[in-house]
Amino acid sequence: MQKPKLVYASYIRTTPKKLWGAITQPEFTRQYWGGFANVSDWKKGSRWQHLNPEKEVWITGQVLECKPPRRLVLSWADPDKLTDVSRVAYEIEAIEDMVCLTVTHDKLKAGSKMLRGVSWGWPRVLSSLKTFLETGKGLNIFCKH
Amino acid sequence: MKNEQFVYVTYIRTTPEKLWQALMDPEFTQRYWLQTRQESDWKPGAAWRAVAPNGQAIISGEVLEIEPPRRLVLTWRNEMKPEQRAEGYSRVTYGLEKQGASVRLTILHEMDKPGSKLLQSVSDGWPLILASLKSLLETGEPLEETRRYVAC
Repeated sequence: MQKPKLVYASYIRTTPKKLWGAITQPEFTRQYWGGFANVSDWKKGSRWQHLNPEKEVWITGQVLECKPPRRLVLSWADPDKLTDVSRVAYEIEAIEDMVCLTVTHDKLKAGSKMLRGVSWGWPRVLSSLKTFLETGKGLNIFCKH
Repeated sequence: MKNEQFVYVTYIRTTPEKLWQALMDPEFTQRYWLQTRQESDWKPGAAWRAVAPNGQAIISGEVLEIEPPRRLVLTWRNEMKPEQRAEGYSRVTYGLEKQGASVRLTILHEMDKPGSKLLQSVSDGWPLILASLKSLLETGEPLEETRRYVAC
């Protein structure tokens, strides 16, 4: 049976270069990703980490492919469950004055906590990313009421 | 029969009331939805259409449920492409839920035909239209690509 896969496409009024920076630079990710930072030197084979505001590692993985500003592929795992590794691909395509960003999260385990978490999270994070790039201020994505 | 569906969730910095109006007011929809105007009385059982600048209905259907500003259910048939028109009516559910200073908008588009061409086409179309709607509500300007009518 095929493993669950999430695909989320968004169109953002920005440039591929600015979008790339917003995904890979902690000073930007913090502004739309609930204070979290994506940290790495973004070279193929390097480690990357997703850190909360207290600098605790929430997600860790490897940079599988890195072609700025078009394509970034990462492995993705909970540091407490390193046997359970999924994969995230960011693809960036310029169209007129905007950019199409497609995030594909695959190799997820059916019924897993990670699948539930990322299904909840990606629409929030990517909505907030678009708002951040277009207005300068992200959404309060972890608001629950 | 297999029930095929497309689901898209987006968060928009606005109020449920403003978003509700943005989905139905023809003066507003034509700004982010390829210059098409939504026409209906917006009552259960009423007809609704999306109308191109030349007056032609490109989508038509019926209002099944309407509960402002939270839930709208429509039937939806493509009137432009014979292949899609022949598939008959699909069903769209708009769900709006306030989340702090934002609104979560959920689109569920369903078609009870496996391999539906209509569902494939709307799965490509919704992310762009909803991105432009979000830009218009948050910045006052829709996305350039959605400002002109293109036969779809």
